[in-house]
Amino acid sequence: MKPLKGLDFQLEENLESFFRLEYPKFELLFSVASEEDPAYEIVRRVASKFPRVRARIFVGEVKVGGNPKVNNLVKGYQAAAHDWILVSDSNVRVPRDYLKVVTQDFDEQTGVVTAVVSGQYLGRGFGAPLEATYLNTFYARWMMIAVKFGAPVVIGKSMLFRRSEANRFGGVELLAQYLAEDYMTGHAMKLLGRRVKVMHEPIIQMIGDYSFKEFWSRHVRWGRIRRAQSPLVFPLEPLLSFWISGAFGAYALSHFDILPYWQTLTMHACIWALCDIFLMERMKEAIKPKNLLAWIVRESLHVPLWIHVAMGTSVNWRGTKLNLQQGGLLET
Amino acid sequence: MFLADLHVHSTFSDGQMNIPELVDFYGRRGFGAIAVTDHVVEHRAFLGKAARHLNLCLTPATFPLYKAILRSEADRAWREYRMVVITGFELSKNSWFNHRSAHILGLGVKDFMAADGDIRDLARGIRAQGGLAVAAHPVSTGKLEPQTFHLWSRREELREDFDAWEVASGTKWSDEVHTSGLPLLATSDLHRPSQINSWKTQFTCERDQGAIFDAIRRQDLSFKFYQEPVSEFERPIHGWIRRPSRARLGARPVHGDLGNVAYT
Repeated sequence: MKPLKGLDFQLEENLESFFRLEYPKFELLFSVASEEDPAYEIVRRVASKFPRVRARIFVGEVKVGGNPKVNNLVKGYQAAAHDWILVSDSNVRVPRDYLKVVTQDFDEQTGVVTAVVSGQYLGRGFGAPLEATYLNTFYARWMMIAVKFGAPVVIGKSMLFRRSEANRFGGVELLAQYLAEDYMTGHAMKLLGRRVKVMHEPIIQMIGDYSFKEFWSRHVRWGRIRRAQSPLVFPLEPLLSFWISGAFGAYALSHFDILPYWQTLTMHACIWALCDIFLMERMKEAIKPKNLLAWIVRESLHVPLWIHVAMGTSVNWRGTKLNLQQGGLLET
Repeated sequence: MFLADLHVHSTFSDGQMNIPELVDFYGRRGFGAIAVTDHVVEHRAFLGKAARHLNLCLTPATFPLYKAILRSEADRAWREYRMVVITGFELSKNSWFNHRSAHILGLGVKDFMAADGDIRDLARGIRAQGGLAVAAHPVSTGKLEPQTFHLWSRREELREDFDAWEVASGTKWSDEVHTSGLPLLATSDLHRPSQINSWKTQFTCERDQGAIFDAIRRQDLSFKFYQEPVSEFERPIHGWIRRPSRARLGARPVHGDLGNVAYT
């Protein structure tokens, strides 16, 4: 299921990758809010290039809640022919064996299989490498750690579940009440006694021209969702930046005369950077000088971004302003 | 005739079992009805805020999910076990002082309610939803835990506002509540599987939520101490088997053996 809205970077190529999937039996369900949406023409064009692939396009939202993405998905969800549903955002590109990989670990105890997102930038603007670095280091690291400790973290860019299981908690229609429908899917599955699994391979998000403002706005949104979902963890987030954790660690070690302050801080930064370089490589990102600069800026922006996140509860999702309550519930 | 446990907690608050596990747990033991009654706390009070941040209670955000899962599990429970699953909550007004704390069970509720406000308004709010208001553990539970005595100290004043008062909430039977002349209900207040060994209410009505509520209002019910044979979760660890002592059961007339005490 592919919810579409507007023109994402290289949308046509992204959609084509789904038509090239190799799997015994599947169908592609595209959803757009209206025929005027520029994505509509593109998906029609792509579908006509691959007549042998079963694909359907659903036009029009069903208003079941405040989440516009879920409202867009409902028609397709209700019409889906199969029990296994894979929701995938429009800005991701997948390899041919994606369905085989994503389904291979799905067992009786699994509720959702999700993926870590790898950002690959081709566009202009400093926001693009910044975004890629954010996804490939900070998000990848903490998502894997959170899932390891049993937190039901799910990313909507790749979310495989069984419709019969989802219907036990009210299906996607119920998720429309929340902004983070992906996180709530994992949370609901956990409450049903099911597990969240992460695919072994990251899923690729192509990043085009991306301004610093867009980067900032997106991460304020994600930060406010995290804050609404996990209010106790949010105050600890500044410690996840190497500046803050390094400063505390260096102070502690120098205070007890174990290591001098600046030496410890430098060593900490080097180890942290090295770990992130390994992680970026694992996330299939080429290591470029621009990435290093983006990495330093990203780490330095961590606390200012956190302060901005803490200062409000509203978010902007593709031009729509939404107000969040505790627990991720959308104000109606 | 069937046994019912109308005060049970799931992982939506501080219970150890999730709702599907609870359904299977009680269904396999042949129970006719359960009510899942997870905690709802006060929004404004410090202890309430702490419980919300620790995900130890239902919130306006989790309640729609709670209701939806209970609805689908109720269908499954009926299909597989002929067991009724009732949606409930436990409005928990917690204070640092026992005589200011009060817990109210809302059985058969439809909408979320915060535990803020006056006790009487809360009980009426539950009834306005078509639910049953039950005073939960109004006297000492006999456990080392914070107690909730507020309702008992106002029992005469609140008599008309509650459909039942828990005469047992776990393993301890209360003579004080039993002889008070108030309408009664016995439950386990189950948080973990081993607490299944506790007092339960026995009904002779149809297995139907409305019929069960009518039976509670008419007090057409009896009480029974449910005791498991030694099972998986009770296997001796460090040489211990957890069984309630006769003293903890209270000095009730005993019919049959300790494992199957019926009191009507």
